[in-house]
Amino acid sequence: MGNQIVISLQSSMERVLERIATILPGLVALLVAVLLFTLIGWGLSWALRKVLNSVHFDERFGRGSSQLAEWSPTQTPTSLLGRIVFWALVVLGFAVGFEAFSASSNSLIAAGLLAYLPRIVGAVVILFIGTIIARFLSRSVLIGAVNMNLQYARLLSLGVKWLVLVLSAAMVLDHLHIGEEIVDLAFGILFGGIVLALALSIGLGSRDLVSRSLEKESVRPGPVNVEAMPEERLRHF
Amino acid sequence: MAKAEVMDDVVQNTTMAGPVDVLVGITGAVDMQLLREAAAHVTNTLSQHGSGLRAVIAYPGIEEPLGGEAEEGAGLRSYKVAAASGSGAYWLTSGATYNSLFALAKSTGAKACVVVNSDLEALENDAVASLAAPVLAASADLVMPIYAQNRFEGLLNSGILAPLTRALYGKRVRYPLAQDFAVSAAILPTFEQPSKRVLTAGESLFWPATEAAIREKKVSQVHVNVRHEGIAAGVDLTAVLTQVLGPLFSDIEANASVWQRTRGSHAIPTLGEPFPVSDANGQAATPIDTNPMVESFLLASSNLQDLWSLVLPPVTQLELKRMTRFTPEQFRLPDDLWVRIIFDFALAHRLKTLSRSHLMGAFAPIYLAWVASYAKEVASISDAAAEMRVEKLAQAFEVGKTYLLSRWRWPDRFNP
Repeated sequence: MGNQIVISLQSSMERVLERIATILPGLVALLVAVLLFTLIGWGLSWALRKVLNSVHFDERFGRGSSQLAEWSPTQTPTSLLGRIVFWALVVLGFAVGFEAFSASSNSLIAAGLLAYLPRIVGAVVILFIGTIIARFLSRSVLIGAVNMNLQYARLLSLGVKWLVLVLSAAMVLDHLHIGEEIVDLAFGILFGGIVLALALSIGLGSRDLVSRSLEKESVRPGPVNVEAMPEERLRHF
Repeated sequence: MAKAEVMDDVVQNTTMAGPVDVLVGITGAVDMQLLREAAAHVTNTLSQHGSGLRAVIAYPGIEEPLGGEAEEGAGLRSYKVAAASGSGAYWLTSGATYNSLFALAKSTGAKACVVVNSDLEALENDAVASLAAPVLAASADLVMPIYAQNRFEGLLNSGILAPLTRALYGKRVRYPLAQDFAVSAAILPTFEQPSKRVLTAGESLFWPATEAAIREKKVSQVHVNVRHEGIAAGVDLTAVLTQVLGPLFSDIEANASVWQRTRGSHAIPTLGEPFPVSDANGQAATPIDTNPMVESFLLASSNLQDLWSLVLPPVTQLELKRMTRFTPEQFRLPDDLWVRIIFDFALAHRLKTLSRSHLMGAFAPIYLAWVASYAKEVASISDAAAEMRVEKLAQAFEVGKTYLLSRWRWPDRFNP
């Protein structure tokens, strides 16, 4: 009995060690591939920036870059292209590494991970873009609402920010095939709830404003009296 | 259409013309009937400055010259302008228009080129002759106007454009972004490069006074009885700020090596006497209700602190917060604080701390706070005293320039 336990433990230990020995070269290959492609990506990105700077790419691209500056003010077209090249090579390094890993290990897990990698990359991109859009739109709404003298500017801005974040989170989970139906359902309820809450808060909050403006419209006595609107006499330019 | 083609068209159009003394360039679309009437008036007024002066009035339009010679002797001629990039201000003259006009003036060999806004106010009020005279007398390369505005008009100019340009480039030009001005033939070649740069940049405005100051050309200014009513009518304040201050801040960035060497400022020759001013209804300026502007600032102060903290140093934020505790009667934005805020926003524009439209949107309520403070101060004083108030602000900009220099050179280190 004791012998059998020892033999069983020994054989399982051997199998585990054998599995580790099988996986280890693949893991090392994965790390080497990622490191190597990261280095190549860094070098290519550096060279690309140098070339684009030498041909004054940003100045030539000037007209189109104003939109880019709006969404991501610290980025120039050159730096953005450099980053795209760098991260593309890092992702390529991971793909090559996983391929080497799966070839050396023959495991289903590695094959599954390899197949899943594009989805992870896609999800990260969606999350990144969603965060940028959420930040940009929330700031735009906040500034616009403040300049329109809306008292609920912050609420409006927060609402827009969370709408976009919830939308992108749902898209990420959907893209990763995580809890598909539950996510769809939960997203529908949450998104609808936020929209309803916003509509109610704005609708109730601006009820007086709407009725006042309607009253003003119905009793407007002909041409607008300039004296009644003193700020009209200010000219900024 | 390519830029080269535009230039070719401009030159082709003008080769048929004879020698030209004064080229008057209209910067936008005009009513031809009004233009013909104004052309006759321009010829009369110019003839008072010198007999035999030949003037050609150029307007943006079709390729072929339209009217030939007007009855009274001033020629009407069209010129082509490259399509606008779309990102600039439609209500301000585009860099492409200046580029075409300067090319036209150069090709015609005009001694003076007078640029005129398309509302033709300058043509109808003898301003063309006043602007052209110093250039024709060879006493100035650039003549800028001093408009007949009351103290509540041209606030962006009085509060930012004029004092900032003066502090940076050292010439006391009252309207650095005037819509009417005159240039000599001698200065045209030096304006070629900056006007082309503006065209390439797509969204920038052309700043004639700045370009002349940088190149140490002779600049004069002349009082003109011109009022451009509602030039930016219907344009949202944030859009006005974005379209005017954005290019101004870009220009500051482009000329950093120049203005960092400039110290102080000096007066430039000013011709004529100020014209009496009245508002659109023919009445003198009356006090303004500043409460809505103060309320806008208070609302912004409670909502935009996060954005302001990205642009303004803690001391400035603290002072702005202190202003929120003032009663409407006490409400004042001190000059030194205003100057530091402008410089901080210019720096944020350079460092791209925020997107450009967000930056100007966050600035708008502070600008309104300054307008409210200024309007309160000048409400009960004379026009001359109001002008002195603007002069005091300009001096504050000059004193505060060291702050800009420090922050520009060490944006992270110098952050009080």
